[in-house]
Amino acid sequence: MPDLDVVGKHAVSVGSRDIVTGRAKYTPDLSFPGMLVGRLLYTAHPHARIIKLDVSKARSLPGVVSVLTHQDIPGENSYNLIETDQPILVEDIARFQGDVLAAVAAEDEDAAQAALDAIEVEYEPLPGIFDPVEAMKPGAPKLWPDRDNVYDRLLLEYGDVDAGFKEADIIIDNTYATQLIEHAFLEPEGAVARVEDNGVVVVYAGCQAPFHDRQQIARSLAVPENMVRVIVPYIGGAFGGKWEIHVQIYTALLAQATGRPVRLIRTREESILTHVKRHPVTIRYRTGAKKDGVLTAIQVEAIGDTGPYVNAGALVMDVVATHSFGPYVVPNAHLVAYTVLTNNPIAGAMRGFGMLQAHLACERQMDELAKALGIDPLEIRLRNGLDAGREIPTGVSILNGDSMKACLKEASQLSGWEKRGQEECQPAHHLRHGWGVGTILNGFGMGHNAPDSAGIQVDMALDGSVIVRTGAVDYGQGLHTILAQLTAESLGVPLSSVKIVRPDTDMTSDAGATIAARQSFVSGNAALRAVEPIRRSLLETAEELTGIPREMLALREGALFAEGERLSFTTRDLATKAWEKNRQLCSMGYYGVKYPDGIFSESSYANAGGYFTFSTEIAKVLVDIETGEVIVEELVIVTNAGKVLNPRGAQGQIEGGALMGCGCALMEELIVDQGRTLNTSLASYLIPTSSDVPMMKIKFLESPEPEGPYGARGMGETGIIHTPAAILNAVSDAIGVSLNTLPITPERVYKALEANEKGLGE
Amino acid sequence: MGEIEVRLTINGKTKVLKTKPARTLLSVLHDDLKLTSVKEGCGQGDCGTCIVIMDELAVNSCLVLAGQADGKEIITLEGLAQNGDLHPLQQHFIEQWAFQCGYCTPGMLMSCYALLLHNPDPDIEEIREAIEGNLCRCTNYRGVIEAVLKAAADLNSISQSKRRKNA
Repeated sequence: MPDLDVVGKHAVSVGSRDIVTGRAKYTPDLSFPGMLVGRLLYTAHPHARIIKLDVSKARSLPGVVSVLTHQDIPGENSYNLIETDQPILVEDIARFQGDVLAAVAAEDEDAAQAALDAIEVEYEPLPGIFDPVEAMKPGAPKLWPDRDNVYDRLLLEYGDVDAGFKEADIIIDNTYATQLIEHAFLEPEGAVARVEDNGVVVVYAGCQAPFHDRQQIARSLAVPENMVRVIVPYIGGAFGGKWEIHVQIYTALLAQATGRPVRLIRTREESILTHVKRHPVTIRYRTGAKKDGVLTAIQVEAIGDTGPYVNAGALVMDVVATHSFGPYVVPNAHLVAYTVLTNNPIAGAMRGFGMLQAHLACERQMDELAKALGIDPLEIRLRNGLDAGREIPTGVSILNGDSMKACLKEASQLSGWEKRGQEECQPAHHLRHGWGVGTILNGFGMGHNAPDSAGIQVDMALDGSVIVRTGAVDYGQGLHTILAQLTAESLGVPLSSVKIVRPDTDMTSDAGATIAARQSFVSGNAALRAVEPIRRSLLETAEELTGIPREMLALREGALFAEGERLSFTTRDLATKAWEKNRQLCSMGYYGVKYPDGIFSESSYANAGGYFTFSTEIAKVLVDIETGEVIVEELVIVTNAGKVLNPRGAQGQIEGGALMGCGCALMEELIVDQGRTLNTSLASYLIPTSSDVPMMKIKFLESPEPEGPYGARGMGETGIIHTPAAILNAVSDAIGVSLNTLPITPERVYKALEANEKGLGE
Repeated sequence: MGEIEVRLTINGKTKVLKTKPARTLLSVLHDDLKLTSVKEGCGQGDCGTCIVIMDELAVNSCLVLAGQADGKEIITLEGLAQNGDLHPLQQHFIEQWAFQCGYCTPGMLMSCYALLLHNPDPDIEEIREAIEGNLCRCTNYRGVIEAVLKAAADLNSISQSKRRKNA
């Protein structure tokens, strides 16, 4: 694609000036006259029957304006993503530590706290179900009277797995386990709600899905959806954890009940206790292969603990299912994935969404196979890697499958893999070097059986400046910058001429949620469709004014060009003239995802995805065998996400994702005992600081995606997905002992070494 | 509960205000004075989003009681740009994509500002150390480090040319 002025070029992020001057307003920064403080009363037991809930004393306290229980909800007392199975305010049974019993609005924090303290609750604690494997056993106590503990059992069959294992010269059989992970976005969840004179309930909230929020708020208020308006201010991170609604409904109910604005912000502790987490998944993985390492069969059993409410749990396990075979040719496959209900914290969407867990098992297993057969880990991956158009066990043919090998080869070069083992192997007597690889396919978008579309509005003013109204949330990834770049490029105006109007369900169109690395692709394509009629108006006008056929004209840099030469007409001239001639300068763009013909077979897995980004990561680590400490020295990442629309933004997505992946690999784990999270602060749940950052070498291959905007693919999740796998492989390589459980804490490394030594001694 | 009187110099202006003694400097700045660059991320001194400069030191304002700040000189992010001109740190934060969501940015900028106050020519390790108490969940901190290095270079060349002029 020749001569792009804005797309693919350095551009600072939309809103960056507001961010560095402190003018950017996040939800907690909003205030209105007469605003009340909202607070919530959470259950004291993770599984209990509520015998008594008496709020009368609380209601009579000075400064307390409203105390709501389940009896005070005008509409439905339930919400959630896949099923509306989570109570807003518990009526009978609390099923996890984050269940809410009452919502309070008061004049100030002290009065709100006094109200919470004055609410009288009697509980009958119920036996909890905290182990998903126990929960699956026949005769296990049931969490729901009308539901099995196994909410969903996904089955994926491809070829003949028994025949595949018979054909195998070697079978590797291991079990891998990932942990419960916290998003730790820096801005805890919050919302501000107020009721306008016309009865419209306005809710301001940092969220990922404003239109879905609107639907759920309206459902609980028992008002039509167009009487609820969700406005999305700046958001302090989300990473999947703000996809499901958090406190928006409570603030809306309290504002409706009191007629006054209400602000409710979760404390850090409440945030950690309540919102969804990354699923802990246990994966038993059997691989059959010939002596030369070529795969003959893979069998997988995955168990995901999703907590008591389904949320996005079954979708995450779906993605575990569709990514468990990695970017490989697998002739025979059999997979069962269980979504299991327990009284543990709810697990749902988090960046990497099942792909991280699936690839951890897949990529560790590939290394175990390589080790057993004495084949180089990269070589065994190349022997089994996809080619263009190859079908994977989900029954989908991946047109860009060849980019798997391209990424792998490039990463090998960039990391100096050839020289592996030649470094000073023991820089000190207690230190060991290790190298590990993780190579992945990263499905982006919602998959071929789910809605996946976006609307967007574009207006050009008579001076040639542009307004883009998007309902798609940008929580830091740079989506709005990309939308501005695409619009500017297509209309031939400078980036500074484009203004983005942030999501507001009254002013912008539904673009779906910002999840699954979908928005640059979907909203990006919608923007390109939206600008087309305006572009046509400008070019028609230009043709009239100059007498030059429009095929020879181009709009660039706010001016008109003919065959590379700048003419005297500016965008302002063209826009003004077009308006005088009644030509369209405002437009709506809509894009619904289309897949290439024939990529899905008749027996394709129901929720298979069709678009993939490929990426390879190589980790170099140093392990202290006396303390078990792991130092990640370098991460080399090569990603083929198609055309890179914004180089800095893309690099930031990969680096930031990779560092989050380091946290997942090495240090992060929510410790839950009997349904209660024990580490509820950022001092006891540690995330990577500036001193935990390895060197990163990042490279993009840019073979374009024909359907993507300017050839782009989704890549917001890519960086995190392969990091834990690459690091775990590197540590296993360094110490010569197989590690199969996250996180790789010093204790875990030390114990593995100790067990290995004992094993050798016997 | 009685209120106490607190005198603060904030971004060069002196303010006298009345507050309950148990309130934090964070809550006084954010809620009473509407200096909303001062963000709460944890309220426990773990994340650094509320960092401001108090008498030339970077402090977590959630850990400072309003009364402890009496008579002190406070700088918040609102005080960094002069007459609409961005401070070099702010400029380079933009250019280097030193943030994504931006929620940690005010505290991060104040930590970097405090570093340069005391160490005008920091190396990478000193920058890393200075921002260790500022959690960022979006980036890998590389942009911040690069921005500080560039801002330090800018500020040093400005002060050198000033010195030359004075000489």
